[in-house]
Amino acid sequence: MYRYDQIDQTLVEERVAQFRDQTQRFLSGALTEDEFKPLRLRNGLYLQLHAPMLRIAVPYGLLSSRQLRMLAHIARQYDRDYGHFTTRQNLQFNWPKLEQVPDILAELATVEMHAMQTSGNCIRNITADHLAGVAPDELADPRPYCEIIRQWATLHPEFSYLPRKFKIAVTASPADRAAAEVHDVGVRLKRGPDGAIGFEILAGGGLGRTPIIGQVIRDYLPQSDLLAYLEAILRVYNRHGRRDNIHKARIKILMRALGVQEFRRQVEAEFEAAREFAPRLADSEVERMRAFFAPPPYETLDDVADAAGNAGLLSGARAPYEAWYRYNTRAHRVAGYRIVFVSLKKHGEAPGDITAAQMDALADLADRHSFGLIRSTHDQNLVLADVPQRALREVWQTLESLGLATPNIGTLTDMICCPGLDFCSLANAGSIPIAKQIHARFDDLDYLYDLGPIEIKMSGCMNACGHHHIGHIGILGVDKHGKEWYQITIGGSSAAPAALGEVIGPSVPKEAVAETIAKLLDVYLEERQDEHERFIDTVRRIGVEPFQERVYETDHSTA
Amino acid sequence: MRRIIRRREILQDSLRYAGEPQDPGTVSVQTAAEWIAGAGAAGGAAAGPAALLLAPTDEVEALAPHLQAVQWIVIEFAKIGEGRGYSQARLLRQRFGYAHELRARGALKRDQLVFLARCGFDAFDLDPAEDLTASLRALDSFTVAYQDGDEALVQLRRRAAPGAAA
Repeated sequence: MYRYDQIDQTLVEERVAQFRDQTQRFLSGALTEDEFKPLRLRNGLYLQLHAPMLRIAVPYGLLSSRQLRMLAHIARQYDRDYGHFTTRQNLQFNWPKLEQVPDILAELATVEMHAMQTSGNCIRNITADHLAGVAPDELADPRPYCEIIRQWATLHPEFSYLPRKFKIAVTASPADRAAAEVHDVGVRLKRGPDGAIGFEILAGGGLGRTPIIGQVIRDYLPQSDLLAYLEAILRVYNRHGRRDNIHKARIKILMRALGVQEFRRQVEAEFEAAREFAPRLADSEVERMRAFFAPPPYETLDDVADAAGNAGLLSGARAPYEAWYRYNTRAHRVAGYRIVFVSLKKHGEAPGDITAAQMDALADLADRHSFGLIRSTHDQNLVLADVPQRALREVWQTLESLGLATPNIGTLTDMICCPGLDFCSLANAGSIPIAKQIHARFDDLDYLYDLGPIEIKMSGCMNACGHHHIGHIGILGVDKHGKEWYQITIGGSSAAPAALGEVIGPSVPKEAVAETIAKLLDVYLEERQDEHERFIDTVRRIGVEPFQERVYETDHSTA
Repeated sequence: MRRIIRRREILQDSLRYAGEPQDPGTVSVQTAAEWIAGAGAAGGAAAGPAALLLAPTDEVEALAPHLQAVQWIVIEFAKIGEGRGYSQARLLRQRFGYAHELRARGALKRDQLVFLARCGFDAFDLDPAEDLTASLRALDSFTVAYQDGDEALVQLRRRAAPGAAA
């Protein structure tokens, strides 16, 4: 992984000192809340419903065991013994004390971490494919480019007061596990006509109140122009994006107003005009960065014949290891290794939550069996990316004992969920209680496995932190006369080609959410061509009507 | 009398804005839009050096052909979150080669100074409540930066290899 040099270390330490001064001025009354707000947000600090919330950057979802132990320490020392992984691969603490936040940031700086630009109207944490570097289907490792973009974006003098937040994702796989199409800018690695690695650039995607799928604005961009082109996009946006209405300030709204042709023309014109002063990305810098992400020292191993276990030996009862292997591990591109998903979707726990004890134990496990590295995924799980197959049983046993081996990755209960009304001051409705309701209703693993891969994503308000628009089943909390109701969409997807879900009808009351989903699943099971046709594929083939009919046929409780 | 920071010094302001008393030795600031539309731009340098106020919505491109007649450009920041001025400054300095005073004025605190200075501002007319001595110190909050192709930094990084971490 990337390691800080003296420049990086100096920068985060100076940032901590600056924020300590800013916090002190706020607490002493020298800064008003309005003046302090943009400063604290740019350091990841929200003032929430019950307490401040601190969002710590996990650049492109990569953590060392040392960093994870620091997060555990912070959870114990400054919070309530747990943290929450977000859909931008970051980690949030929900209960820090404002006056202690500078100390937390200082502790983070000792392990090459920070909370810069995890909030506020600036360039946010760069996200990437959580399987970068180990995925069999990728063109090249996207993380060197992520780190290059991260550094360029950090405290960028021109782009630190944008009209609105700005999110960039980088992906190198046709499966697009980084959801590049729903980002302000999506960067897709691509080979050019000469075989060199460059990029396809998408812009104008995003969720929130106005969900839009991004469009390609540059078919092929040479590697050396990456930062120059990003600057051109940002400059057009910074100058012309709307600032009069927070809900119309994202780049997608500017692009829609101008039309993609005119937007592209303006970006290309700016790109040309800025050439003399624009940053040029030298091959040597990419090579320098690439060395940080070189493959770990893999042993030469053969695939283990019985790695998947042998369920046949266990008569009758479902074999837990075999189920875990099948659902929570993936093929690795190096023989003898396997990718292991750590499920943060246990029944009874808020999706994405992890305790300090779990963090410490996971850090130990990563040291023993996965080169000391842990990844966070945008669907709020963790990954041990390089586990030798011979260690799988031991890893499983440890995860099982920690409550991190729920064999549900990719299934219905592997839900994405925002903090919702329980924590967030923006939310209209709860998300976590709905996740619990769904877990309780669908606790039969055999049924989940029969349903196959299916993604539920849920947000407690239209800001869409839970990405409900791109869930195969999306759930959006709405407030109706002070009561929590839920609007259901189906047919959304973040995988290429991305799609926005379609609303099935009027929202349903809180207690009816799981039952409504059960009806949707009934239709799917009746209509699917065979067990290989996924829920999303059935929706695409037969449309939403059969689902609507079933949900609303006899139900008079909806409004 | 208003005090400003100019090239790292705290000074009495020598510019005056619409509605302010005409103290001797002060220069009147006109809006860029009026100046371009009126005789000022047409008169060129002969009309005397101009001091112009640039609103966030003003296109710097319109000012570019007349910059030889301009001695002061004041860019307005009506709110702390106003960010267009940073791009206006960059363009004036880099693309259009403006070399005279470039001033940021408005709802600004010491916390924005590093960004402003790195975009090319060399004068700051901050929120009247701000402490200017502390603001001077804030200009040095950061000794390193990732952007701008600072040659010394580039050299430093070339020497740094993976594993040579701090």
